[in-house]
Amino acid sequence: MIFRGERSGGRAIPWRPSDVYRGVSGSRFPVGRLPDEALLSGLATGDPELAVIFVRRFQHRVIGVAMAVTRDPQLAEDVAQQTFERAWRHAQIYDPRRGSVMTWLTTIAHNLAVDAVRARRTEPMAPEDLEELLGVVTETPERWALADEASAQLRAALARLPREQARALMMAGVYGMTARQVADAERIPVGTAKTRIRAAMAKMRAVVASPKRGDHVQ
Amino acid sequence: MSSDPTCDKLREIGAELALGVLPGRERAEAVAHLDRCADCREHVRQLTLVGDRLIGLLPDGEPPPGFENRVARSLARQAAPATGRGRSRAPGRAHRDPRDRDRAPGRAHQGLRDRARRARLRLAAVATAAVVAVGFAGWAIGTAVEEVTAAPPPAVETEPVLVGDMVPAGGGGAVGEVYAHPGSPAWMFVSVALTGPGTAIPYTGTVTCLLERGDGTTVRVGDFPVRDGHGRWGAGVDADLTRFSGARLTSSDGTVLATARLKQAQVLTPEE
Repeated sequence: MIFRGERSGGRAIPWRPSDVYRGVSGSRFPVGRLPDEALLSGLATGDPELAVIFVRRFQHRVIGVAMAVTRDPQLAEDVAQQTFERAWRHAQIYDPRRGSVMTWLTTIAHNLAVDAVRARRTEPMAPEDLEELLGVVTETPERWALADEASAQLRAALARLPREQARALMMAGVYGMTARQVADAERIPVGTAKTRIRAAMAKMRAVVASPKRGDHVQ
Repeated sequence: MSSDPTCDKLREIGAELALGVLPGRERAEAVAHLDRCADCREHVRQLTLVGDRLIGLLPDGEPPPGFENRVARSLARQAAPATGRGRSRAPGRAHRDPRDRDRAPGRAHQGLRDRARRARLRLAAVATAAVVAVGFAGWAIGTAVEEVTAAPPPAVETEPVLVGDMVPAGGGGAVGEVYAHPGSPAWMFVSVALTGPGTAIPYTGTVTCLLERGDGTTVRVGDFPVRDGHGRWGAGVDADLTRFSGARLTSSDGTVLATARLKQAQVLTPEE
C-alpha cells in the first residue's frame, strides 16, 4: 500500500508487490502505479527502469493494434517497437488535453502500421481478415460490458450498422484505406464508398457524443 | 455550422479527413478551411474521437517473448549517444527548445552520466570486460534493463516517495500534483491546471519550478510552458529530494502561481 501521510486521512492506494523494482543503484522505485502521464514524463528523462515499465504497461495494446492492421507478427513487432521508440522521442510534446497516453500510443501504432502495410503490399487487407476483425470488434461479451460500458455501447452500435457501412468504416478507420480503395475492394462507385464511410461515422459519432442514447441510433 | 459552401463540402469529407484517408489535395484544402472555421474544427474533432475509439476496440495482442526487453534495449541504445555527447544546458531548459524536443532533457543526460559513473565502480568490482566492447553508457543502461526485467519482486519493501497537491497562491482547492522520487536517478513530475477558483486569469507562459527547503530557501529545478493554465512537466533532479519540504511554481515575473507541501509517502508492500 502507499500511504500519503496525514493529508490522506489514512487513505491508502493499493500497491502490488510487482510494482516495486530494483534499480541500478540498488534502490527501489515504486513506479508501477504511477499515472500514465507521470510515467511518460519519467520515460523522457531516460530512466531505463521506467522504459521497461512503460513498455510493460502498454505493450499488449500496441501489439494488438499493430497486429490487427498488419496481420503479420514480425511486421507487427517492428511496428510496436517503432511505436515505443517514437513515444520515447516525442514524450515531451505529448499533450494530455488531446487524449490519454493510451490513445496517443495507439494512434502512433496505428499510423505506423498503416504506413508499413502501404509500403509493403498493394492490398491493405484480405477480405477474410476484415470479416474476422469485424466479428471481434462487434463482440460484446458481458465481461467487456461490465468493464467498459462506453466501449460496449460502441461495439453494439458498430454491430447495428448496415454490414456494408461497417465494412467501409473498418476499411477506412482500421486499415487506412481511401474511399477509392474501399470502392475497388467492394466493387462499388467511389461516391457510394464515401457515402458509406460518412454515414457510418455519423452514427458512431452520435454514440460517442451521447453514449447513453446509443441504443437509439438508427 | 454556417452555410458557407466550403463548410458543406467539409461535411462531406470530414469523416475521411478524421480517419486520415483523404487524398493529399483534398486534405490540404480541408485543413486550410479548418484553420478559419471553428465549427468545422469541432466537427472534425468529434469525428477524430470516433476514429480513436474505433481503434480502441481492437483486441489486445500477446507480445512475443522478450519483446519488452528488446524495446527497452533499443531505447537504451538511443539514449547512449546522447549521454556520450555530454551536452551542457541550463537545467530544465533543454527540452523546451523545439529543436531538441525529440531528445531527453539535459538534466536527464546528466543523470545518465551519473548513473554511468556509479555503474563503472560496480563494473570494476566484478571485472566484467564486455563494457569496453559494447560502449559503456549503453551497457550501463542495458544492464539496468536486465535487472528490472529479471529481478523478482521483493516480498516486503518500503520506498519513500514525496507527493503533494498544488494549491493556488491565493488559496483554494488542489489544482495539480507533484510526484518526486528521491531514488537514483531522482526525478519529479508536476501537473497543473490553474483554472479553478483561487486562480487569476488562466496563465499562459513559462513557469519556473522551485523546490523549497524547510528554512525557506529554494532551488530552481527548471522551466516548463503552461498554456491556458494547463501544464505538465517531468525532469531528472540532481539533488537529494528528501531535503525539500515544498514545491513552488512561479511565473516569469516571479509571481507565485501555486505551491505544494511535499509529504513523504511510504510504499508498503504487504507480504503475500
